Amino acid sequence: MPLKDALPTQGRFSQWRPNWVILTLGLAMLAAVWGLPTVSVAANRIVSGTGYPVWQALSWGGGALASLIILAMMVLASHPERTRLSYVAQFAAMVLLLLLMPFGLMAASHWLVDASQPQARLGIGPAYWVVMFLALLGLIELRLRLSLARGWMALLLIGIGAVWLGCAALWLDSLALVQEFQVREAQFYQAIRQHLALVTIAVSVSIVLGMGIALLMRRFYRLQRGGFALLNFFQTVPSLALFGLLLAPLAWLSANVPFAAQLGIKGIGWTPALIALIIYSLLPIVRNTYVALEAVSPDVLDAATGMGMRTSQRFWQVRVPLALPILLEGVRITMVQAIGLTAVAALIGAGGLGAFIFQGLGQAAMDMVLLGALPILVMALAADAGIGALAAQLRRGAAYD
Amino acid sequence: MIELRNVYKYFDDTVAVDDVSLSVPKGKFCALVGTSGCGKSTTLRMINRLLAHSEGEILLDEQAISDYDPVLLRRRIGYVIQNTGLFPHWNVARNIGLVPRLLKWPASQVRQRVEELMQLLGLPVGEFANKYPHQLSGGQAQRVGVARALAADPDILLMDEPFGALDPITREKLQEMLMQLQARLHKTIVFVTHDMDEALRLADHLVVMRAGKVIQQGTPLSLLQKPADAFVDSLLGGLERGLKQASLTRVKDHMAPLGPTLPAQSRIPARYTLRQALSMMLRDHSERLTVVDQHDMPVGELSLRKLVKEAHSSEQGSSRES
Repeated sequence: MPLKDALPTQGRFSQWRPNWVILTLGLAMLAAVWGLPTVSVAANRIVSGTGYPVWQALSWGGGALASLIILAMMVLASHPERTRLSYVAQFAAMVLLLLLMPFGLMAASHWLVDASQPQARLGIGPAYWVVMFLALLGLIELRLRLSLARGWMALLLIGIGAVWLGCAALWLDSLALVQEFQVREAQFYQAIRQHLALVTIAVSVSIVLGMGIALLMRRFYRLQRGGFALLNFFQTVPSLALFGLLLAPLAWLSANVPFAAQLGIKGIGWTPALIALIIYSLLPIVRNTYVALEAVSPDVLDAATGMGMRTSQRFWQVRVPLALPILLEGVRITMVQAIGLTAVAALIGAGGLGAFIFQGLGQAAMDMVLLGALPILVMALAADAGIGALAAQLRRGAAYD
Repeated sequence: MIELRNVYKYFDDTVAVDDVSLSVPKGKFCALVGTSGCGKSTTLRMINRLLAHSEGEILLDEQAISDYDPVLLRRRIGYVIQNTGLFPHWNVARNIGLVPRLLKWPASQVRQRVEELMQLLGLPVGEFANKYPHQLSGGQAQRVGVARALAADPDILLMDEPFGALDPITREKLQEMLMQLQARLHKTIVFVTHDMDEALRLADHLVVMRAGKVIQQGTPLSLLQKPADAFVDSLLGGLERGLKQASLTRVKDHMAPLGPTLPAQSRIPARYTLRQALSMMLRDHSERLTVVDQHDMPVGELSLRKLVKEAHSSEQGSSRES
């Protein structure tokens, strides 16, 4: 619910009721722009960079332009007349800001990075991260006000992301992130493929397995308690410990069962990673499947039986479709969780984007950490939004009240 | 024709239905009435085998229901429940077409039947066919529920407190609709309710239950005239019984020819109930009413004095309507 609806309404013209969310975000943005280092420049990969404030990185004009956009948004937000047009303008201001930011980096690169030094690199400073984060929050708030469909919002964010990527690929060679990427381009795509493969296989296997377990639990009531206790227990084991626990038995299997060795089963690598991922994924899938199937209204089921549906007809035509949105929630949680956990799996040699994170941490190269972390973040958000939208679509036909 | 012979139902050690025998002739409306937990719903649900009876016999058209495949049996019996039980993920048309589709009717025939039923129940096809249950009001949803039950044109309709969750005005409208439907379709209906007024209004045959047993059964008028015990009497409204009886009687059955005296000022249509007539007498401070036909022409008169005498004499005789 938008904040304004939660507040008590007063006289139409008497009170000054600005949009506090946007105003606060705007103030925080201004503070970040002028108070935090905008970019950092380092002579090479090893030394830590020097931070530059906005007036040095983007010149006084650049800082003023950013501030002007933010101020314009704040003025609109504090105006008592809340027209749709005003929200559209605020929305446009946020989008404009996000679109101009990579060009600011280009300017900073031009002014601050010595072209004669190919090792010199530009780092994205805290002001950039903070403003980007706050601008996204602002977009979320304005999306609610404008009641914009999720799909349009997703398209818009993809568009902004494309502008950033284009700028980075074409004109931002000096950006540290880009340099890290260029050195490991092949590795990077390989890591994304591995990451996606691990997540997809783990989640699909646990969907099949988890739904099977949930169905068995419904049939055999005794299984239910023990089953949930076990899955809950696994969920509490730290991921690294689980990888360690799997190491010994899998190594033994590989050494003693030739067939297992042929399959590529080893104490480290993708096998333990996949097993651990599946174990972690089972709980949300089983729990949501079970709850979803149980949550179908008894009246509806009574009517289904009373009208003469067979048990299988009732299950497939009534119970499953009604359970599907909650069930998809389970898949969504599992997917996001698996995308994050797979990063840890890099520690036991399973590959994936986690490898960059841990290598980068080892080398104190934060931009390499980012090279691993940013795609993981994007993947998690995309999975979350995509499956969430699918569930919302399914719900639309029927409000399950 | 539905017949229950000495039917019992046990849940573990408790007796939910205790030696119930009743028969509903074809085309009649039977209401099971009682307080909650008296076994009326259990009795109903045994007829379409949602619950198995423990002892006794239940016959449909003189054949034991245990001889039927339960699924096929249920497709032959319309079923309406209190909270409609409409499938929330299906639109109205699809919900109504459920049983015909289960019976594998051709799609065109299903569609035709669905449209026919929607018209019958006052749900304009263009407006409602594509709506989902959550977009309907309570009354509309239950109309869809009734349409769904009637879809495959079953001879028998089981209704488990169908109007119990509706507000009084909607409930009355749907009762009216059900009476009109029944006058046209002549289904054999078993109707469970705890609302005695609803039962009196709708039923040909009343069955009062308590603690799994049938306490009394008969026509509404016969129960009103001679309640078997204090429980039935209180269920029937105690002191209000006389008025309830009057609400089951039409003015035209009690009017006298126009006399030589001047016609009374207050006029009442002949199709109104005696209860409405009494109310009018009290309101207008008048012992006599002029009865008029649908064209507002006087056709007779109604006198309080005569009514009281008649009520007294019919108490001794059997009811004149059944």
